[in-house]
Amino acid sequence: MKTWHWIALAALTLISLILEMVVLNHTVPGFYILWGFFGCVVIIYVSKWIGNQFLFRDETYYDR
Amino acid sequence: MTAEILTSPALVFLLGAVVLALLPERFRASVFIAVPLLALAALWGMGDGYRLTVPFIGMELVPLYADKLSLVFGTIFAMIAAVGGVYAWHITDLRQQAAALVYAGGAMGVVLAADYFTLFVFWELMAVSSTVLVWSRDTDEARAAGMRYLVVHIFGGGLLFAGILMHANETGSFLMTALPEAASLSSILILLGVALNAAIPPLHAWLADAYPKATITGAVFMSAFTTKSAVCVLVRLFPGWDILVWVGVAMALYGVVYAVLANDIREILAYSTVSQVGYMVAGVGIGTEMALNGTTAHAFSHILYKSLLFMGAGTVLYATGKSKLTELGGIASKMKVAVFLYMIGAFSISGFPLFNGFISKSMVVAAAGDAHLKAAMLLLILASVGTFLHTGLKLPYFTWFGPKRDDIPVGPVPKNMLVAMAFGAFFCTLFGVLPDLLYRFLPYEVTYKPYTVYHLVEMIQILVFTFIGFWILRPKLAGEARLPLDTDWFYRAPAGFARRRIVGSVAALFDGTEKQVFAFAGTVSDWFRNPMGWLHPAYKGTGTASTYSPRHGVVMGFVLVVAVLMGLYLF
Repeated sequence: MKTWHWIALAALTLISLILEMVVLNHTVPGFYILWGFFGCVVIIYVSKWIGNQFLFRDETYYDR
Repeated sequence: MTAEILTSPALVFLLGAVVLALLPERFRASVFIAVPLLALAALWGMGDGYRLTVPFIGMELVPLYADKLSLVFGTIFAMIAAVGGVYAWHITDLRQQAAALVYAGGAMGVVLAADYFTLFVFWELMAVSSTVLVWSRDTDEARAAGMRYLVVHIFGGGLLFAGILMHANETGSFLMTALPEAASLSSILILLGVALNAAIPPLHAWLADAYPKATITGAVFMSAFTTKSAVCVLVRLFPGWDILVWVGVAMALYGVVYAVLANDIREILAYSTVSQVGYMVAGVGIGTEMALNGTTAHAFSHILYKSLLFMGAGTVLYATGKSKLTELGGIASKMKVAVFLYMIGAFSISGFPLFNGFISKSMVVAAAGDAHLKAAMLLLILASVGTFLHTGLKLPYFTWFGPKRDDIPVGPVPKNMLVAMAFGAFFCTLFGVLPDLLYRFLPYEVTYKPYTVYHLVEMIQILVFTFIGFWILRPKLAGEARLPLDTDWFYRAPAGFARRRIVGSVAALFDGTEKQVFAFAGTVSDWFRNPMGWLHPAYKGTGTASTYSPRHGVVMGFVLVVAVLMGLYLF
């Protein structure tokens, strides 16, 4: 990831926020920012937790 | 009537498979591509509203019924069979080619069937022909997985068949109409049979078990037909069944968890399919016109981008012989075209604007919102965060990007594989840019507009911040050389025990009986080789009879037994 990639992402976010505040009513600005980011974090941690706690076995598990 | 049946698109595929077997090898690949195009022509020749009825054992069968639903599904099946034919152009294995055409014919027959009898015949045809695509890989692993796949599908077919018989008994009709939402045993059995093919957990494990082990080209066909034909049947039979809303949502999230855990690239895509079919099942459950449109549109889009993704994964497997994230990475510069085309599929499935996931997935999500199922809507959006995370970021990042590696040999990939991917990528983009091309063929009139400010804002924020989350936490997502257990554990783990108890004990019984019989025969022939030894109390000699060869001994023994038995009988 180069610097201009981050700048582009920041610009996109900014545009979306402005659109949300100017054009749209009845929405919570930035709601999907939180849903996207925390959703991503929750999916990673919860999946890995379920995997480590219950699901993961050795790769040769069924071959024995 | 016979002539009309012969124009059935499903039969075009089946006849195509027969003709293919009679052709010399160099024509087969071209004819393979021509067959789906012929079937497409036959399909559109029928037109909306076409209905063929056939009397059968005192009942009315409708083996061919074209409405908007079956036309959309039939069209995409024929399209993807043709694209798959291009992808498999270099294949000379007749077994795979014929099986793929029969499989496509089965899927076509299922979506065009309007009676349960026809449905069941084509349903089983799909199960058998797709198994061949797994077995054709010719590894021990694939043979075992193919057998599990077949057995599970025969079980599902059995559930469906039992449900059909009970239903026919109750209603006196084989005709497929929407089933009333009531917990009657016949409906539940039919639902379970269809749910197995739609890969609804816990009946889904065959998919993630078999797809990663199928042939490179076979997996492309498999990704398109089985689950989506089942979705079509769900739309026909179970629209508005409330339970399916939550089943679909659970399924969408279930697939995400496993796709995050999986290590094999085609296994990630298989679980991603479970997740995507969750949207379609949820749409069937919501049951409004918009939701059913969304389900149909999403099945159409899904077939396009998922086959593209499987084709991309296939190029990796072809070029490197590897398919595990733990063994891949840093080879993007050696397969630029494949990476580029795969990423179009990844953008599509993730719902990027201008690609076809954006115009179809959102219909289901919006239909959930309109039906006041806010929780379902938010969870479906969460699942789409997961989709971008595993199929759009994890898979390509750990397969191709990351630190450059030179220890992985990357061989050339046949051009036709990339051409087929280009076709797929073209259609993914085409329907994303011009959604009306698809919307006008959906079962109900479409009022939904995908390109609204709200939807664009939503997707931009979701995608940007999912990416940021991925970038921060990406070390946690690296593939792990471990196996996440799934519900196939319930039949794979006890398999050894069952084999010992059921197969082993029967085999032991047969072995034991066989030994006893031979021992008895041996004893008898010993006795009768020289009956003088025990018939004549004074007889001492051993010499005379021993000049007989053992064969003579047996024959003479037999003659003597017959003589003795006859004597006993007569006197």
